[in-house]
Amino acid sequence: MARDPKHDILFEPIKIGPKTLRNRFYQVPHCIGAGSDRPGFQAAHRSVKAEGGWAGINTEYCSIHPESDDTHRLSARLWDDGDVHNLRAMCDEVHRHGALAGVELWYGGAHSPNMESRATPRGPSQYASEFETMTYCKEMDLNDIKQVQGYYVEAALRARDAGFDIVYVYGAHSYLPLQFLSPFYNKRTDQYGGSLENRARFWLETLDQVRRAVGKDCAIATRFAVDSLYGTSGIEAEVDGVQFAKLADPLVDVWDIDVGDIAEWGEDAGPSRFYLQGHQVPWTKFIKQVVKKPVLGVGRFTDPEKMVEIVTKGYADIIGAARPSIADPFLPKKIEEGRYDDIRVCIGCNVCISRWEIGGPPMICTQNATAGEEFRRGWHPEKFKKKGSQDSVLVIGAGPSGGECSRVLMERGYTVHLYDTAAKIGGHINQLAMLPGLGEWGYHRDYRETQITKLAKKNKECQVALGQKPMTAADALAYGADRIVIATGSSWNTDGTNCLSHDPIPGADASRDDQLTPEQVILGKKKIGKRVVIVNADTYFMAPSIAEKLAAAGHEVTLVTGVHLANYMHFTLEYPNMMRRLHELHVNVLEHEFCSKIEPGRMQAYNIWGDGSKRTYRGPGKPPRDENQSHHWIEFDSLILVTGRHSHDSLHRELHAKSGEWEKNGVKAVYLIGDAEAPRLIADATFSGHRLAREIEEANPQLPLPYKREVAKWGVAHVAGTSAAIEYKV
Amino acid sequence: MATKILVAVKQVIALDEDFEIRADGKDVDADFFLRDLNEWDDFSLEEAVKIKEAGGEVEVVVVTVGPEEADESLRKCLAKGADRAVRIWDESMEGSDSQAIARVLAAAIKHEKPDLVFAGVQSSDHSFASTGIAVAGLLGWPHAAVVNQFDFSLGATQATIRRELEGGVLQMMNIDLPAVLSIQLGINTPRYASLRTIKQAAAKPIETLGLGDLSLNAAEVGEVGSASRVRRMYIPEKGRAQMIEGSLAEQAAKLAAIIKEFKGATV
Repeated sequence: MARDPKHDILFEPIKIGPKTLRNRFYQVPHCIGAGSDRPGFQAAHRSVKAEGGWAGINTEYCSIHPESDDTHRLSARLWDDGDVHNLRAMCDEVHRHGALAGVELWYGGAHSPNMESRATPRGPSQYASEFETMTYCKEMDLNDIKQVQGYYVEAALRARDAGFDIVYVYGAHSYLPLQFLSPFYNKRTDQYGGSLENRARFWLETLDQVRRAVGKDCAIATRFAVDSLYGTSGIEAEVDGVQFAKLADPLVDVWDIDVGDIAEWGEDAGPSRFYLQGHQVPWTKFIKQVVKKPVLGVGRFTDPEKMVEIVTKGYADIIGAARPSIADPFLPKKIEEGRYDDIRVCIGCNVCISRWEIGGPPMICTQNATAGEEFRRGWHPEKFKKKGSQDSVLVIGAGPSGGECSRVLMERGYTVHLYDTAAKIGGHINQLAMLPGLGEWGYHRDYRETQITKLAKKNKECQVALGQKPMTAADALAYGADRIVIATGSSWNTDGTNCLSHDPIPGADASRDDQLTPEQVILGKKKIGKRVVIVNADTYFMAPSIAEKLAAAGHEVTLVTGVHLANYMHFTLEYPNMMRRLHELHVNVLEHEFCSKIEPGRMQAYNIWGDGSKRTYRGPGKPPRDENQSHHWIEFDSLILVTGRHSHDSLHRELHAKSGEWEKNGVKAVYLIGDAEAPRLIADATFSGHRLAREIEEANPQLPLPYKREVAKWGVAHVAGTSAAIEYKV
Repeated sequence: MATKILVAVKQVIALDEDFEIRADGKDVDADFFLRDLNEWDDFSLEEAVKIKEAGGEVEVVVVTVGPEEADESLRKCLAKGADRAVRIWDESMEGSDSQAIARVLAAAIKHEKPDLVFAGVQSSDHSFASTGIAVAGLLGWPHAAVVNQFDFSLGATQATIRRELEGGVLQMMNIDLPAVLSIQLGINTPRYASLRTIKQAAAKPIETLGLGDLSLNAAEVGEVGSASRVRRMYIPEKGRAQMIEGSLAEQAAKLAAIIKEFKGATV
């Protein structure tokens, strides 16, 4: 199928300085956990997108000097020739597929804690970072300014030598150039502070110097948060935003614009829970009106209609994307070929971002199980090895892992029978998507449903049987499959079993009319009373989502939480607005409290730290701390148990108990994947199904194959020609 | 003696979004055909298999008129519980309309001598909804169309059926057997085949019959034996969008006129 001619505009080339982008699709800088230390990961992940049709592809933020060291988080670095060597691999691979490679030169100021380098960050004035609250910067004198600008120039030269086509001066997310520009940080009274011209001076001079150094060979880009979203305390789009853009326009070849800061950068990388596609446009649209250079902007653009609107309405010239490019590295190619159904649409869950926020683990993606696995496991997002046998596979459970496993097995040419009791593919996504703000998470189901339906049409031996009765071990054995995959998922505990006590809570029983699990709340079959108490021992979204749903429906909600409420939502950038939401809905959050027992109409809460700070050996049978005397009763009409989950693994266990009957039934193997193996993130459930499907011919496919590791090798110096030996300077 | 239920099935043509009309303008280009068992036949087969599974000696025979490609659909029926599959074909049958097909099926029924015949209400590709009833007419058997409930005891001379009529009205009736019934969607929940039954079905024979086996001659089938001819097959032009211009009052008046015209055309 050819693409719709109205999308032709997206495939027009755009000239940026000395370089030309082949179309309007552009992967903005985003973190993946590769940096300069995992060059294979970096090169493979970025070049897969070049192959998928993106015109420009960037590194993550790339430190220009050890003074800007974000450890524990992972940036790229261009500190020395060792980094040049490693990043050159990415440039070469990206070029091989006809795209431009860009690098985002970064100096963090007080936002970089310098935990590895132990250097002192410098900034326009002295302050403690609102992001890294223990890190203060040194206020720069004029000499410092010259020196730091010199760091940018040296890094830009190294970037050019590595083969980069686009060199950024990074001033979004409140990093150094913006710290000079914004009165929120800049309290100087000299020529670098005060008026807009003075506050802009550092950024303009830096752009000018970088341009003089590499501008003939490289396009100069700057990333600019056009509105800090603080009102008059920071940058406002229509005030300093457009004024700065006018001043800097002659010095840049392409503008990369967004909004917000670093402490709340979920206002930029907006989760779908709170923000729709294109949510930044009301702020960013002003820039294109005052500049002559091409403008690119982000906003989780996945829909070509929306992209065309962005271009034709004059909001931006280039469609910037980070998350959509992770969920589908072949997004441009699929639009180009009119394969709209095949687009793996970003669900906006921000689990990719969570890994950077946690500080170090490789990026993962809920939609795209191959993200981050390109180099180390050799997984291409769109290409699959043909099947290695004629074996037929029965997959029991069409949720995230079973659906993904079936999809990949079908792509590989296997005959797959996918079987589920539910009437729809998607497993628990079908329920989650009904929680407030999570509708777009349903794209995870939609992608698999569409692909599986298509693949089953292509290979008529495949079959999708939905709405079936639960399968017994005897049914599964008699089914006639060579291999059986159990993907029966998990559910929330009905007895209060939790991560704090590892035991049920006395009196917890969701078979009662006045107690519910989250699934029961979502299904809506039990009546929920006015006064609701949520007992929480889960650190992700379920408790706040249920609280939001019920409070918005008029219930009085008390949330008793024995763990840091919504802690993982810090990492997905959903935390600040989730807290604002609970606040505006008057949800009463009792932190550090958990539940010791439940009686009809009341639950007993206690302070988890109520057992005394002194620890004393008192002999066997006697606890080392005092008795907790903080217990008190809270009344409820309905109690919701968000305490923990358990796997539905009984079918798997029964099949293993009957392993003696496998051979006569022609069953070669039975595998367990996803939540049925252990409850986990949707991304990890998806991954586990994908992995099994890729490795099903291996000797023991239940266990993952080893992956290629990229680690420093003893005796080999990072910078060629330097020593790797232990040498004391004595 | 076993009760024999004959289920007449059809391999239909499904189409994807993209397809082209054949150069002679009388059909879709065969390159774009996706073949599958007619959706209604899943239900009529299931109804027959349910009777078999309820106990007693029952044989379910599926019969289709079609070329070799149709074996795939017959195997699907075998995997879902049919005991035997019969495919009738002769090149002279190409271009048969529903009457000609009914003539072939009626001959097959005389040959098989079933106690009961099920057909789907209609086929999803040509939608004539006439083959089953035409078969009954040719045989002179009692018949009932659009059956959505069927109660029958083995050996009984009558069955009780429920039919769907216009406007949501249902009709209960008794029917003498043998009879031809056209079965409606939703009468049951069709089963899926398991990998085991699919493998077993792959090993079962498909009986093939030709003109001579059924004492038919070439003039009774195909285009010459049909009562109707396809003149043209085409994709109608899509509706057009129209920008309504003028003052608010003028726009409202034009919109009202369009709505009136539309209502007049459809009511």
